Amino acid sequence: MPNSANSAAASDEKLIAATLQGDISCFGTIVQRYWNMTGALALSKIRDPIEAEDIAQESFLKAYSQLHKLRDPSRFAGWLSRIVDQQCANLLRKKIRNRTSLGGEYTTLETSAPAFKPQKNPGLTKSQTNFVRQTVSKLPEKFRKVIIMRFVVGLSVIQIAQQLGKRQGTVRVWLHRAYKILRKDLAPLLKEVQQL
Amino acid sequence: MNCQKYQILINKYIEGDIKDAEVAELKEHTQKCASCRNQFQHIDQIDSIMKDAFVPITSAEQATESILSQIESKTSQRVSTLPFAKQMAVAASIFLTVGLLLGFSLARTTIIRQPATGATKVPMHIGKLEGIVLVKHRDSNLWEALKSDSAIYLGDTFHSTAKSGFILELENKSTLELNQNSMLVLKLYNGETQFHLEHGKLAATLESPHPPFFVSTPHGRVEALGTEFTVTVE
Repeated sequence: MPNSANSAAASDEKLIAATLQGDISCFGTIVQRYWNMTGALALSKIRDPIEAEDIAQESFLKAYSQLHKLRDPSRFAGWLSRIVDQQCANLLRKKIRNRTSLGGEYTTLETSAPAFKPQKNPGLTKSQTNFVRQTVSKLPEKFRKVIIMRFVVGLSVIQIAQQLGKRQGTVRVWLHRAYKILRKDLAPLLKEVQQL
Repeated sequence: MNCQKYQILINKYIEGDIKDAEVAELKEHTQKCASCRNQFQHIDQIDSIMKDAFVPITSAEQATESILSQIESKTSQRVSTLPFAKQMAVAASIFLTVGLLLGFSLARTTIIRQPATGATKVPMHIGKLEGIVLVKHRDSNLWEALKSDSAIYLGDTFHSTAKSGFILELENKSTLELNQNSMLVLKLYNGETQFHLEHGKLAATLESPHPPFFVSTPHGRVEALGTEFTVTVE
């Protein structure tokens, strides 16, 4: 291995320390690790998948430029998730402004038509995908984040609590509530999938 | 059937904090218990549904490539809002600094010692001052308002607030203009005054010809080849 600091198994802390010392490739490993999470967080707020991916990219660029300000590198994912929140809020604000000044259209995830054809979506149809995204986007903010970190990224409750700087008990309660809502709201889909 | 024990395992499975042996135990139980089987299957379904529904269009590899190339281009092109030719001149100078240094003599800023305070005065003065610009001397935590007749010392940090700015006149007719919401530090580097733009925007008008002129930023140093240029640090 040419660079022991930059491996898929290296901890966030190690990769961030190396990035701050000028090894950009280590930041690449970080991007790979959290691209799906960042994309999912943006997709659960922004209807347009292209815009959502732009947000995801901008969030990483912002994270890179602010990396020296990150106090606890073991909480990178939680910190990144807050950057995504900000970027989404900025975009939505801008859209609302444009709508009021230019009469442009403004659609939330809820009102949108399914216009997205995922490139590699093994199990779900277009409308199923949209249904899941809408359901997740309707979750309360903290539930939404926890459920994405748990199932899209595959972090455990202990890891999520560490990332968000919350108590494990709190995150555990959030996760179970979020899971209960999802299970109820996704029930028709669960039935469809089960029949396949 | 008493499923209390397995309910705990199901919760642990949802939380992602379950041992392999416990999963095996749970699976064995679900062979016999329909209620637990149902719950157990739902977790796996929701797990895969969530992963599938949020698959990004761009793969992680492509995204990484794109993001890294943007970072690289940003760090080498911190100079903006310039006519194209000048921009090219500055951009080229970043890559060709060494060769281009030849032929110029280093005009070092003369330094006058002030023994009383230990601070070093530099031969620059305030040309034009608008709004509120704060200045902090080195080894001091005190921010003062900059005045048009303030003496400038090495190690000074200037902070321009919103709708504020000032022009710094150098001894060789060159001027530096600090825009609003910016921070400029005068540092000592190899016996010369080094202009360090921490954030914001700095516009320079240099006399022609001028000695090598650098502005450092948190992302690296840029050298000016032309007579007018702007450095922006976001």
